[in-house]
Amino acid sequence: MKKFWKNFLNFKLSDFMEEYNKEIIDLVVARLQTLPEGVGVSIGSEGDYSKQELISHVEHRDAVGKKIIDAEMGFLRALKEGNFYGDLIGNLA
Amino acid sequence: MATLLATLPKHDQTTRCISAWAKKALDEARKKGFTVFELADKRACRREFESMVKKHKPAFVFLNGHGNAVAVGGNENKVLVQAGENENILKDTVTYALSCQSAKVLGEESVKAGARAYIGYKEDFIFLFDEEKRTRPEDDKLAGLFLEPSNQIAVSLIKGRTAHDSHLNGKKYFARNMQKMLTSQTSKADTTTLRYLYWNMSNLACHGDGNATV
Repeated sequence: MKKFWKNFLNFKLSDFMEEYNKEIIDLVVARLQTLPEGVGVSIGSEGDYSKQELISHVEHRDAVGKKIIDAEMGFLRALKEGNFYGDLIGNLA
Repeated sequence: MATLLATLPKHDQTTRCISAWAKKALDEARKKGFTVFELADKRACRREFESMVKKHKPAFVFLNGHGNAVAVGGNENKVLVQAGENENILKDTVTYALSCQSAKVLGEESVKAGARAYIGYKEDFIFLFDEEKRTRPEDDKLAGLFLEPSNQIAVSLIKGRTAHDSHLNGKKYFARNMQKMLTSQTSKADTTTLRYLYWNMSNLACHGDGNATV
């Protein structure tokens, strides 16, 4: 029973940390700032967005914002863990 | 000669853009002798789609449109194919869906229902486009960085490559475009594509018989 609660608490904490960590939000917003003006971003059925609209969604942590956070953090993690270049070379072969 | 059925909805910017680029792959199919049927605009609806599949029994179904884990839509996002409802309409076909998330559930379910192979994306397909090219999406080189690799999947199938090889070829073209961004002088807009090219490449998946051809 103790183990269950420990796991439950850990899961919720990690979930919370992952989704609402201000550092992550700031990092994603900083990356989105590098998008040039005059460029739209299509995110499937969610629609298409300007840079400022995307930043607003990320700051509000809504469904669109979370998708962008996933994409940005996935890319950064792949860089950090070395998977990016492995995937790149692997798929070029 | 094989038959290809493509859905080409155009009710918003995303569908206008992907449908305009998909037409380039359809031109290639015609050159290769395929009989090509297009369900564009309002004809991209479930009734027409099911009727065309039953009548022409296409070997290759090329779906362009919005989607989710269990379904792919057509005009105005109305469902064309949905897991648990009519996934068996894809029986005996090789399908490529340029649509969000459909490789998550619909891909596997359609294979269980008899589809030979299903190529699609496990998450949302994300792409950048040039706002100035809104009315001429086929000339949008920025969108092309994403949609050319997508077209390569269709073109590979058209050229007789297997489903598995075609999906790998799509990944290869995403990787090639990323390599270009890393190794040549490119614009800021082009460089910012890297993250989303990587996202699409990583989420491209193939279900079913990898050796299936059209």
